[in-house]
Amino acid sequence: MRLVRCLALAAGLGSAVAGLAAAPAVAQKRGGTLVQITQPEPPTLGSYISTANPVGQVASKIYDGLLEYDFDLKPLPSLAEAWTISDDGKTVTFRLRPGVKFHDGKPFSSADVQFTVMEVLKKVHPRGINTFSEVTAVETPDPQTAVFRLNRPAPYMMAALSGYESPMLPKHVFGQGDIRSHQNANTPVGTGPFKFTEWRRGEFVRLDRNADYWKPGRPYLDRVVVRFIGDTGTRAAALEKGEAHIAGFGAVPYNDVKKLEKLPNIQIETKGYEMLSPVVELMFNTRKAPFDNVKVRQAISYAIDRKFVIDNIWFGFGKPTNGPISSNFAPTGLYSADVTNYNVADGIDRANRLLDEAGLPRKADGVRFEITHDITPYGEEWRRFGEYTQQALAKIGIKANLRYEDVATWLKRIYTDYDYEVSSNHLFNLADPVLGVHRAFHSRFIRPGTVFVNGVRWSDPRADDLMDRATIEPDPKKRAELYAEVQKIVVAAAPLAWTHEISFATVLDKRYRDVIVSPLGLFSSFDRAWRE
Amino acid sequence: MTKPFWIRFVGNARVLIGLIWLALVIVGALAAPWIAPLDPFAISGQPFVRPLDGFAFGTDSLGRSVWSGLVHGARTTLLIAVIATLGAVAFGGLVGAVSGFYGGRTDNVLMRVTEFFQTIPSFIFAILLVAVLSPSATSVVIAIATVSWPPIARIVRGEVMSLRSREFVQAAVTLGEEDFVILFRQILPNALSPLIVTGSLLVATAILTESALSFLGLGAPNFMSWGFMIGAGRSFLRDAWWLVATPGIAILLTVLSINLVGEGLNDALNPRLRTP
Repeated sequence: MRLVRCLALAAGLGSAVAGLAAAPAVAQKRGGTLVQITQPEPPTLGSYISTANPVGQVASKIYDGLLEYDFDLKPLPSLAEAWTISDDGKTVTFRLRPGVKFHDGKPFSSADVQFTVMEVLKKVHPRGINTFSEVTAVETPDPQTAVFRLNRPAPYMMAALSGYESPMLPKHVFGQGDIRSHQNANTPVGTGPFKFTEWRRGEFVRLDRNADYWKPGRPYLDRVVVRFIGDTGTRAAALEKGEAHIAGFGAVPYNDVKKLEKLPNIQIETKGYEMLSPVVELMFNTRKAPFDNVKVRQAISYAIDRKFVIDNIWFGFGKPTNGPISSNFAPTGLYSADVTNYNVADGIDRANRLLDEAGLPRKADGVRFEITHDITPYGEEWRRFGEYTQQALAKIGIKANLRYEDVATWLKRIYTDYDYEVSSNHLFNLADPVLGVHRAFHSRFIRPGTVFVNGVRWSDPRADDLMDRATIEPDPKKRAELYAEVQKIVVAAAPLAWTHEISFATVLDKRYRDVIVSPLGLFSSFDRAWRE
Repeated sequence: MTKPFWIRFVGNARVLIGLIWLALVIVGALAAPWIAPLDPFAISGQPFVRPLDGFAFGTDSLGRSVWSGLVHGARTTLLIAVIATLGAVAFGGLVGAVSGFYGGRTDNVLMRVTEFFQTIPSFIFAILLVAVLSPSATSVVIAIATVSWPPIARIVRGEVMSLRSREFVQAAVTLGEEDFVILFRQILPNALSPLIVTGSLLVATAILTESALSFLGLGAPNFMSWGFMIGAGRSFLRDAWWLVATPGIAILLTVLSINLVGEGLNDALNPRLRTP
């Protein structure tokens, strides 16, 4: 058996803590209320059934997961004290922490793990359906042991066991009734550091300290209040005045973030999004001429000035890229920079040459061909990105007409009717490429009607095969090699033009410490956060 | 002896000011390709250049010239507003004329339909129409025309009804003229002055509606317009005031001018206000 020992991890945790404490060691103080701004108000608190961003921002304080993660995306113990993965990768055994209680006082045991994974996450969680697809059974030889039996190895599953992604639910509460419309969805009961107290619709959710939390002495804060403020300006003002203390995920627009950064009481944190890693992409309808021609797709990839886009549209909160996998995966080895580099100074010249080679010469008016670009209907920066793209394409002789529709119409156009030529989007890489990256170009994900999948309808048996092998490859090194190959193939074929990674910015009040301590950022439990 | 129409009209100082500004805007709009040769969406300089610093009105967040946006925006805004108003006047006029001329059941049906349109809050209705039709120049024109015609129909109906019983119309009826000949030859020319006044004021409303739609991101996406400029610049109000202020002032002055001219027209055309 290849053991992943708790000890090694504990050492890792120790060094991480030491790293954080490198600043003058201050003792954490008890007490205080943290006001978090979440935008918009979540439709539910059932994070086991909805992956909508605001849901996770609230529910992650209430539910724990089997594991936590450090900034290098390495698993750390949480509800599971230790775990072992068999050599064939098909059995994963978790030793659960004894003495953990749910907020209603009942003990947490392996039966809860079995129930949560088999009855809830595998069935109704939008991503859990994929994450746990290989899990055939969860055995419970004793209350402190949960054994996952897998059909094939699923290394990505180990990256998806946080309290945000796979919250552990009490069987005695959620075991009764229909899980899809459970009465406790909005009065959640978990094992997390904060207990649900009240949800006043349109105003706030109040979470109070769980005095019986299993981590001794924690949490340090008395209360977390999640406020919902509809107006952008008011949100920025609340943070400026110290009435609210934390907001992330674009709740404050980038240009306002720049302004708040200059205030003495505010700090801007771009860490804490490593397990999400959105990558902006231009989508090409690869089954429609002229985008069935790889040279046309490459030409457009060359035409985008990444630096201009990041500096002027995302106000510096981004990082240029060429490929689908975020550089946040560099510590795990899954990110590879050894791909075609489209981000070059003479990009426009190269693009023009490629289009000439593709047999699409400029006509008398300087235009090679005309297309429609469907702008992502997500707001200001996406609109500017569309307008910028129009200008960039004009330089290489492509006349782009912009079309702007509402989200539902746009989604249907791109992912159901495939009635488009070029569009843009950003997909989250999530905790592992299997969960967040394959969907964009694996041919298994050409699923009319399913959104945020392979809407470009690109299909390449070689890439498919490599991804399938990487999915079940337990050895991290071999897995990294497979993904390096995938990235090389897909970037050269350019079914999408990946332009940059978005860095979300969290606006944080400086009086609060140790708030963003994990790659899940606002989706983590805040058990270590404290107020000066 | 009353003074001729043109003298009465232009002799009014407010009208003159309004006309001068409108003339400037119209000339600017017509001459846009020559006085601002760049595509208004073209990135032509550094972002956030202040006014007079190489660009007469500065640049926006992507480095697009605000001056270019203003003159090309005038084109879009005026064109959409005028076409939408013409559409509304034509359709509303027809409905009102038929309704007022025939009366009875026809009138009843047409007026209930008109009321149906009048009860829907017009801006919400316009947003809905644009969203359903998907934003484009045509759908914006259709939306504005659709929400603007009912008042025209009402006014024309009233005028036609009162003219219908006048002797010269009855004389025409007695002479056996066809209905539409009576309507278009005898009645409508006499109902023209309130129609012109309302129509001109409607252009101002149409400009405001177009700007509001563009501000909300529902304008024609490939056309620069003043509302679009304000919408794109509003996030930078605190850092780059000129992005919002210049198109905002342009809208204000244009709408004000149209109102001044419209009222001047009313004063000049209304026989009761004529000074002997």
